[in-house]
Amino acid sequence: MVALPEMSEDPPSDPLARLGEKLDKARAQRVPVRKAGGNAGLQQGLALGLRVGVELVTAVVVAGALGWAIDRWLGTRPWVMLVMLFLGIAAGMLNVYRAVTGMGMAVGYPRRQGPKGPTERPSGKWDDDEEV
Amino acid sequence: MHRIIPLRIGSFDLSYTNAALLMTIAVILITALTLLSTRRAALIPGRWQSIAEMSYEFVADMVESNVGREGMAYFPFIFTLFMFILFANLLGLIPYSFSVTGQIIVTFAMAAVVFTGVTIIGFVRHGLHFLRFFVPEGVPALLLVILVPIEVLSYFIRPFTLAIRLFANMLAGHTMLGIFAGFAAILGIFAIFPVAVDVLLLALELLVAVLQAYVFAILSCLYLNDAIHMH
Repeated sequence: MVALPEMSEDPPSDPLARLGEKLDKARAQRVPVRKAGGNAGLQQGLALGLRVGVELVTAVVVAGALGWAIDRWLGTRPWVMLVMLFLGIAAGMLNVYRAVTGMGMAVGYPRRQGPKGPTERPSGKWDDDEEV
Repeated sequence: MHRIIPLRIGSFDLSYTNAALLMTIAVILITALTLLSTRRAALIPGRWQSIAEMSYEFVADMVESNVGREGMAYFPFIFTLFMFILFANLLGLIPYSFSVTGQIIVTFAMAAVVFTGVTIIGFVRHGLHFLRFFVPEGVPALLLVILVPIEVLSYFIRPFTLAIRLFANMLAGHTMLGIFAGFAAILGIFAIFPVAVDVLLLALELLVAVLQAYVFAILSCLYLNDAIHMH
């Protein structure tokens, strides 16, 4: 007898479906492994270092270019570009600050003290710890 | 970049270029690696199976620890992204080949897909509540006038930083290699020194190639995490 897709509602009879269920159960029980020290730390440090420099420069350049384009469109040179440049500097600093303090790249401010590094974030309980 | 098979449709230049060829090769290699190495999957993996399994587990770990269990739904996308960038970067290091990721339009296209996708996921999961992202809490209304534009700007800068980081790193590396190779061409017998530098640089570029693929993938994970679990 061939196992049809509709039969998956019944208690799984074919070995594949049973295996699938077993796998699901095993996966749910698996505790996420926290890798400690050494290699992971170096990797993340390098990744972070490569990130922040570009972050700062890009913010200013993109904001400036955007301002320049709006200026050209509206004929308000150079005011929009000046404002956008300052906003860009602020946004760039903000992004770098967030990357360095380990808030990830979250826009907005966390309402509560989250765990520090992005990898140490507990996967399940992110939303239901203490409210401030 | 040059055209291998010229093709024009209307005013669009849809030629099959060497960049497209390199991307095709990357896709074929990834597909071959994942398919062939798992076809005769053994309990004790051989070399190729190990490579495939290690890359799978590396990305799976990254997604799970950064986005959480819900993020595993997006694992195929992140895995594809990571493998494609990794292979494109590494293939670009082979002499006479072409570095696809050194083209800003390629990296920007990928960054734009990530950015658009993440934004859509955010709106689908949280509705208009997602916009609260841009409004910091407990801030006087007067300051919001300044802060909201900064937040919005820092959000919209994401695809640009993502694209420029990868592109600039690849371009800078290849430029350095090219410059030292240029020295070698004019130095005659002393060409051995720039060539030695190039060999060392190539090792560094290998590191950068892997690291930039990792950075691109992990940042996509972090953005995804923001969209799924808003703080």
